[in-house]
Order: sequence, then C-alpha cells, then structure tokens
Amino acid sequence: MLSKVMMHRIVTPEHLEELREKLLRDRASKTTRISVCAGTGCNAAGSRGVGDALIEEIRTRGLDTSVELKETGCHGFCEQGPIVVIRPQAIFYRQVKPEDVTEIISETVLKGNIIERLLYVDPATNEKIVREPDIPFYKRQSRIVFGDNGEIDPAEVSDYITVNGYSALAQVLSHMSPHEVIAEIKRSGLRGRGGAGFPVGTKWGFCAKAKGEVKYVICNADEGDPGAYMDRSLLEGNPHRVLEGMIIGGYAIGASKGFIYVRDEYPLAVERCRLAIQRAREYGLLGDDILGRGFNFDVELAMGAGAFVCGEETALLASIEGQRGVPRQRPPFPAERGLWGRPTNINNVETWANVPVIVSRGADWYSETGTANSKGTKIFSLVGKINNTGLVEVPLGATLREIVFDIGGGIPRGRKFRAVQTGGPSGGCIPASLLDLPIDYESLQEAGSIMGSGGMIVMDEDTCMVDIARYYTAFLHDESCGKCLSCRKGIQRMDEILTDITEGRGKEGDIELLEELATVVKDTTLCGLGQTASNPVLASIRYFRDEYEEHIKRHYCRAGVCRTLAKSPCQNACPAGIDVPRYIWLIGQGRLDEALAVVREKVPFPAVLGYTCPHFCEAKCRRGQVDEPLAIRLLKRSAADNDNGLWRANSRVLPPSGKKVAVVGSGPAGLTAAYYLAKLGHEVTVFEASPVVGGMMRLGIPEYRLPREVLQREINEITRVGVEIRTSSEVRSLDDLSAQGYDAVFVGTGASRATDMGISGETGASVLHGVEFLMDVNLGRSVKVGKRVAVVGGGNVAMDAARTARRLGANEVTVIYRRTRAEMPASEEEVEEALREGVRILYLAAPVGITGVNGRLQVQCTWMKLGGIDASGRARPVPVEGSEFTEDFDTVIAAIGERPEVPDGYALSLGTGGGILVDPDTLATSREGVYAGGDAVTGPASVVEAIAAGRKAAVSIDRYLGGDGEIDEQLAPPEEERPVIVEEGERYRPPVDMLPLAKRFEGFAQAELGFDEARAVEEANRCLMCDLEES
Amino acid sequence: MSTHSSKNDGGLLSTLQHIQDECGYLPEERLKEVARSLGMSLVDVYGVATFYSAFSFVPRGRHQIKVCLGTACHVRGSSRIRKEIEKRLGIKPGETSEDGEFSLDAVMCLGCCAIGPVVVVDGSYYGHVTTAKLDSILGEIRHEAHAFKGNDA
Repeated sequence: MLSKVMMHRIVTPEHLEELREKLLRDRASKTTRISVCAGTGCNAAGSRGVGDALIEEIRTRGLDTSVELKETGCHGFCEQGPIVVIRPQAIFYRQVKPEDVTEIISETVLKGNIIERLLYVDPATNEKIVREPDIPFYKRQSRIVFGDNGEIDPAEVSDYITVNGYSALAQVLSHMSPHEVIAEIKRSGLRGRGGAGFPVGTKWGFCAKAKGEVKYVICNADEGDPGAYMDRSLLEGNPHRVLEGMIIGGYAIGASKGFIYVRDEYPLAVERCRLAIQRAREYGLLGDDILGRGFNFDVELAMGAGAFVCGEETALLASIEGQRGVPRQRPPFPAERGLWGRPTNINNVETWANVPVIVSRGADWYSETGTANSKGTKIFSLVGKINNTGLVEVPLGATLREIVFDIGGGIPRGRKFRAVQTGGPSGGCIPASLLDLPIDYESLQEAGSIMGSGGMIVMDEDTCMVDIARYYTAFLHDESCGKCLSCRKGIQRMDEILTDITEGRGKEGDIELLEELATVVKDTTLCGLGQTASNPVLASIRYFRDEYEEHIKRHYCRAGVCRTLAKSPCQNACPAGIDVPRYIWLIGQGRLDEALAVVREKVPFPAVLGYTCPHFCEAKCRRGQVDEPLAIRLLKRSAADNDNGLWRANSRVLPPSGKKVAVVGSGPAGLTAAYYLAKLGHEVTVFEASPVVGGMMRLGIPEYRLPREVLQREINEITRVGVEIRTSSEVRSLDDLSAQGYDAVFVGTGASRATDMGISGETGASVLHGVEFLMDVNLGRSVKVGKRVAVVGGGNVAMDAARTARRLGANEVTVIYRRTRAEMPASEEEVEEALREGVRILYLAAPVGITGVNGRLQVQCTWMKLGGIDASGRARPVPVEGSEFTEDFDTVIAAIGERPEVPDGYALSLGTGGGILVDPDTLATSREGVYAGGDAVTGPASVVEAIAAGRKAAVSIDRYLGGDGEIDEQLAPPEEERPVIVEEGERYRPPVDMLPLAKRFEGFAQAELGFDEARAVEEANRCLMCDLEES
Repeated sequence: MSTHSSKNDGGLLSTLQHIQDECGYLPEERLKEVARSLGMSLVDVYGVATFYSAFSFVPRGRHQIKVCLGTACHVRGSSRIRKEIEKRLGIKPGETSEDGEFSLDAVMCLGCCAIGPVVVVDGSYYGHVTTAKLDSILGEIRHEAHAFKGNDA
C-alpha cells in the first residue's frame, strides 16, 4: 500500500503535467469510452444494473483493452435515466435497461449502428436525436462548471486530472501570489452561489487581511433548500473540483485547514468526499508541501445533522463546533471571528467549483459570460411540473422562458404554466408575466424573490399557490431555531393563518394580516432565514391575490389541492359542482336511477351534459395518472339514458310567491335559471328570439352529437315545473319587461356574433361563419357547401362545422388551425371523430387572404411556429417568414370565435369584449333587478358553465325577491357508507359503440352510441373514489 | 473520524453521530457517558442532540422508510404518498411499528428532485412513486420481513 501511495504522489507541477499526458495517452488507446450515469436519479432508475451488465459484457467479449467503462456522477438530465453515453461519437442512450446492454456492445460499439429505440425523442419535433450535444436540453446550456460530470469517474482522481484537474492549483502555487489570486477572483465578478450573492473576491480579501495565524476555509454543503440538488450532484460527480477550489482559496486567504460541512441526508456525497480527500492526500494534493511548493493544506469532513438553519454561516460555525446550530449577530463577521474564533471564509459548493475555471481560463474569459453585475453561469435544479427535469447550467441573464421552455421543454401533459419558485423557502414565485425576465441576483430580488442556491420549481395549473406559500411557511416554522421572537412566533402565526385559509377557515382581513406579519418578521430578525422567510408569502400574495381571495371568500381552491375545500379533483373541476364520485359509485352498483338523481341535484340537463360536456372533470381525474381517466361524461350519459323518474320523487315546487321573473334567452343559462326560479315558486317566462328552444344546445350543437328528442325531454321537465317559454319573441328593451310587471330579469342571450378573421376577401359569398352555418343547418334551412371545404379554427365550433360539412356532401374538409393539437381547445373526442370522418387538419397554419378565382376560393396561408407562452399560459403562434402557400377551396367556414351582442336597448354596462359586466359573486348587472350569466357575460364557453351561472343567478334573484336562495335539494336517497377500494393495477376504458362511418354521412344520426349498462358498471368501478381519502 | 475531545471542538456532534450510527438511536445511557467524558451536563448534551432532526431518542425499526416531502416532491403529490404509507404501515413519521420492523421518516428534500415523488427504503431510492407502485415497494420489504421472522422462528 505504502509503495502504491509513494508511486502516486505528485511532487512537482511538472510531475502533474507528465502524469496528465500519460493518462491522456492511455485514454487515447481506448477506441470507445462508455459513461454510465450513476447519479442518484439514474441510480434510482436502475443504472447500477446497467453498469454491472456492461462490465460483464465487456469482460466476456474480451474488449477490456479497447473499451473503457466509467460510472460517472450526475449528467443532469435525470428525467431520462439511466443514461449511457458512448464516446467519441457522444451517442446518447436513455432509459437503458440491463437487457439492452448486449445489443449496445454488439451493434453500437462493435459495428457503429445506432439503436433507435434508445434514442431521445425531442417532444417538440418528434425527431430522434443521436448525439448528446444535439439534444435541446444540453445544446442550450453552457456547462462550464457542471460539464465534466458526465466524463469522469468521481472516485478516480486520475479522471479529474485528465480533464485538466488541479492545473489551476499548479498554476496558482507556481506563478501567483495570494494577493494576485484574490485580485483575479475579484476581477472575474464571481458572486456567492449559495444565495445572497456576495462578491467572492471581496470576501476572500477580508479574510486574508484579518489578523491571526490560524485561518479556516469552509465549504457549505448543507444544501437544505428543498428542491435544490446541484451541490449534491457536484460533490457526488466531481468532488475534486470542489477540493481544488478550496485549496486555492486556502492559499489565497492563508488558511491551512478546510472543512466541508455536508448534509447527512446525502450519504453518497459524504462517501465521495471522504474518498476524494483520501485520494488527494495520497497524490500529494492535500497535506504538507502540496506539489512541492511549500503550501500545507488539509480538508476534513463535518457532518450536518438535519437543521436547515445551519446553511446560515454563523449557525454552521456553531454546528461544526459541536453546538446547537443557532446563528449569532454579525459583526463580527466570520472573516474576522469565525470557527473557534479564528478568521474563516465560507463559500458554498458551487462557488468553490467555479474557482478552478476562473484561474485556468482567466477572469477576462469568465466575465464575458453573464450580466453587468452577475457574471458566469448558474446551475439550477429545474424540477416540479416540467418535462425535462434535471440540472441545467446557464449564463446568468438567461430568461426564465429559455430555461423553462427551451431547455426544460415546457409543462407536461399540456397543462398551463403557473409560476416558478426560485430561492426555495427564502424566495418567491415568479408568474408567467415575468417569463422574459433575465435571471440575475438583482432582477430576482426586484421581482420579490431571490436567486437562492438555485432551486427552480415549476408549477402548473394544478398547483395551488396558497398551498405552496403554506408549505414553505410550515417548513420555516419547523426550521426556525427559535432565537428571535419575531421569527419563532411570527412564522408560526403566518403558518396558522395560511393553514386556516387552505382549510376553509380564512377570514376577511387575513391577507392584510399576513402582509403585516410578513413585514415585521422581515424587519426584526437576526439571520437570513427570518429575513427572507416572508418572501414566499409576500410574492404569492403579490402575484396571486385572487387565489387567496377565492380560498377565503368562496372556499374554492381552483387547483383542487386543498383537500378540505376540494372533496375530489373531478367535483372541484366541475363548474356546476356535481358530486361526481358519488354518482359514479352508484353507477358501479348498477343503480343508474339513483346516480341520475345525484346529477340532477346540481343540473337540469344531465343528458345534454352526458352527450356534449367538455368534461373538465376528466382532465383532472386522478385515475389518469395511473392509466386513463374515467369516462365521466359517458357515465353521466348512461345514467341520463336510463331515466325512470326516480329523482322526481323528492323534487319539490314551492307554492307561488307572487313574483314574476323574465328570462331572456332559452339557452342553458336561461333555462337553468328559469327552472330553479320556478321551483322556488316564482312565475317565470322565458323569451326566445328564435323559433326553437334551447339556444346553443339546439342551434349550435349538431344533431349527430345531441339528438333533438334528448334535448326536448329535458326541456319538457322545465316546462313541467311551470316555466312558460315564448319562442320568436325578441326582447329589444328591458324597460318593456318592467312595464309588463316583471319583478326581476335574467339575461342569458349568449354569444353568437361571429368574429371576423381580419383578412382580405373574407366577405365573399362562399365564406361562411361557423356559428351561423351551424344555426342555419340546425334550423333546417337550405345550406350549400362545395366539395372542398376549409374550416378555420380549432374549437368545438370548428370541429362541428367540419363534421357537418362532411354530412352535407363535402368530401374534402380541411381544418386550418394556427397552433398544435396540444393547444386545441376542441374536446379530444371531437378531434378524434373529425379525423376518423376524414377531416384533414393542418396544424400551425393560418390564412392570410382569400381570393375568388373562377368560382373557387384561393386561400393564401402561412405556416406558424409556437413562440413563448403569453400571459394566459398558452403558446403564442407567430408566422414563419416566407412560408406562404395557397390551397383552393369551394367554401371557407370561419370558426375562430364568437362574441356576445347585447342590444343597446338593454342599457347594461358592457366589458371590453362586449360581454355584460356583472358582480362575479351575485351576477347582478349594472341595473337593479337585472342579472346576467352564461356566454352573454363570459363570451363563448361551455354548456356546463352556463348551467352553473344559471344556478348562481337563480339564487341571487330569489334573494332579491325576498327568498332565502335555497335551491339545493336532496334528490337521491341518503348517502351510504362506501367501502374504500384497493387499486389493482392498470385498467382501461371499455370500448364505446360508434355508428359505422358509412352510415354517418347519410344524415345526422347520432355518431356516438354510448355504453350499455354492463360497460357503464364496469367503467364506473375504475373510480378511485378520491373523495374518501382523508384530508 | 475526529479525535477532538472537548465540548466545543466539534467532538460532541460527531460523537452523537457515531452513537446513532452504531445503535440506530441515542440511548440515554450513552448520552450520560458522553456528558461525563466531555465534562458537560446531561441537559446540555440533550440541548444539542434535540436541536438536530437527524437524531432519534427511540429505537428505530429494522427497515427504514423515508418519504421525501421536499418542494419538488410536494408539487408532484408526495403528501398523498406519505398518507398512503402511513395507512399501510399504521405509523406516522418519526414512529416505529410495534413489531419493530418499520420506521417511517418524513424528510425535507433528499436531493433527487428530478425523479420525485421519492421514497427511500433501507438506502434504496425509488423515483416517480405512485400509490400503485407502493404495493411492490412495500411488498418487497414486507416479504423480506416475513422471511426474516421465519428464519428467527
């Protein structure tokens, strides 16, 4: 052993260079170098098995001399683990399994063939990518600190030496004075990567100048910020780089001893550091007379023991000294009085890892990267609701948009971006409106957050911002050391208030109280933990105040995260609040009539919804994370199709109130309001301008989706409770209604004025508007379309128009949509059926002009590409220059949207989009006694949203008329105890019978035939009954 | 690792860590010895030991289960995973099952955020954990625990 150590020991800088050259020569003799990532992420995905299999395969094939295998530290792209990279070609294989290994050796290593199935597929382009540097995740990074991780075995100091390791140390010891080193670091502009961003050179200068024989340097590896793991990956993947930085720092400051204070939750990092220290000692890179240049320096490990506050430097010192990790007043700063009272310099892991590259490539080179005041790169741990999770290193000044969308690949499952939390519990959330903010220390602070150690947690629409603030505050409440009263009690109070809000006990004034407490805690605490503890709360109030208010006033958590407020994700997502799990369970028991009664407790149109609802519930169904969401819409349809009238038994109509209500418009909002108001005893008259009843349910939705008799049955139930409906009765002025003795009015006139495309030639006779086209067809008017039809738009109206055109004899129908399928607002099944019926969809295309030529329409289009997302969280389409193309059509149908058109005679205040302005809580308009809801207020939305508005208006109108607004009824038999079910692996939806294609074009017969009872029962039994979960 | 021996030179923390590694927790008897040898009062030793969450004062189970509640895991639903484990093992974080087989700990970030939600069983990391996957994760050690008992008997 001794002789081996002697053999390793590097005694001069020249010796180090010789060793490096020899190692590089050895390496050159290998024709293939394979790296297997053995970072914690890949390890959890099974990289150890892959590594073992590779070792075995290389050995049995006798390839040891030509193929080198390395188990490296984290490559950063943890999402794709286990990762195998084959050099020199840099072939990148992901999600490799041990059974792939034989083929990797026989095909790729020996024959140079690529194994397609192991390649990374770029989700943006669907292209397979062969080489690691070509993958967008890597291509857009600048990995000057983290890059070596993928190439070296962290257990081997020789590997670090081959990538120029310890050359900066040799340079410093041979050619630079301590003063020159500090000057170089100062010139580089490097700032502390632990969070606060203090200039590193200046800090070193303080410590170097401090009086004292004995000085210390410390590496702060107490990476306690939940959601950040860059320090862990550096220590595990490249520990010598951190050591080299510390030795250089020790030389510059005049310290001969260093400590690495590392979290005990990082066992692998501890092991790697311990080994690195041992190896460095063997090689003469630590200890006495390093590289023969007379400098003595050694490093020891100190283990943390689970206390977040120990990331605070004075607390960390107390912990190394073996005391409670409680911070103390500064000054004196550790640079003067640190560990055991001696001058001490503390930097974090990433800061130390930056030092060698600054020395070897120079401050000038280094400071070319970054912004005016923030130089170099920063490693972020990009995690949470993001496609490419992992560690990313980018120049300071990169924007969040670049990090989240270009490198991170956006949000999984087409969800909307909400916010990014930077700085962990000490930082704040950054909303979509600030995505273009260049990230540096100052810009983040101005936005109400901080850089922190580099955690970047991406949140989507399913993240509750109040819950996140509560989460961080609870964490800090737990981690406060208790020294300062305002931190100890102030954070506790904030935690209590936030918990109240998330559990439905929030009160008016809570937000203001939180703001006040937050300010006090910020201003009156000793250390960084307390001073930044308010950031998560203040930032989330600043950007998401409306969510706080929803929790407090409406007891509603839009993300469905707060369990006390959201019984189950499906019910929470339903605008009408239907008790989904309860009726699904009843269907599962074969009790379809009782299930229908549950649905009818909230809506008077169960069948319409069962046939046509866009089912927001299914998008949130938790079963979707296991295999496939429940077919909730179809189940509702099954219940509605099997109506035996059981629900009527408990349905009550109150005695006449003597009040008269006029409802304008017989769409879902108007009829719902009318139904509940009539049941409350009011005399209700519905005025409908068109000759038929049902609004968009009758005029907009094609008959093949909603058969007339199905709609008519539900309308009959509305007239049965006494509602009078007058068709062909347009209301031009609300004054007329008051004159006729109506005590209150509900306006539900919808949104059917088509939006123009704003392009030349769109006023021609063969250019139709989607909604008008559908209305004409639904009214039985003669509508002619040509053989080739273009439909512009991507919503349900566009799909309805395209499928209707097919049924009217068009044999080539093309939908032109400016975004991709993922952004399409149309229901998934509508798009599917349109495609099945032969409709062609051009994605990322938009018309720019229409010219009539010989009775045909020439449509000039341009291809689009998706830019960054806009403030609404959707990707913005931008034209691709010079990509124009032309297609010929006989008919063009523009279905790009509709807006409300409210007659001037109503004298109501309108919003910018033409919708009626209402109080969101009561739906009261600017005129007393007049309420409004549905598309007339919101612009085009869904039937279920209109029904919800109708219900809300009925409550308000009843109260206005002196009633109690109580419209809830128990129609189903009392709820009984349901057994909690146990998941039994993956199970998918049973098939749905569909009308054969050939029959569909004969007329407007319904296309989707629904589940039979047996299948409905089978499907309902897949429900996980999330509502039974304890909160 | 450390040869320090007085109370302020770091010896206390590393001594406590050593005892915890050896016994799985900090038995009172051993803490008394530590106090005697470092010339500290027992209350001061407890003062330090209770400050750090890594230390336990009760024996731990044969199998250590850690569930990560770090932010990245939290936004991906780790609290449901925690509840499910609690339900299946009948213990809360910080507790040990009556048969001494399992201990459960809730940890704030294990530093493998990319693969959250994360559960660690006896040092093995499991990523992208769902309630469905818990069956096999816990099933494995259940099985082992049974086999172990079988051998004992």
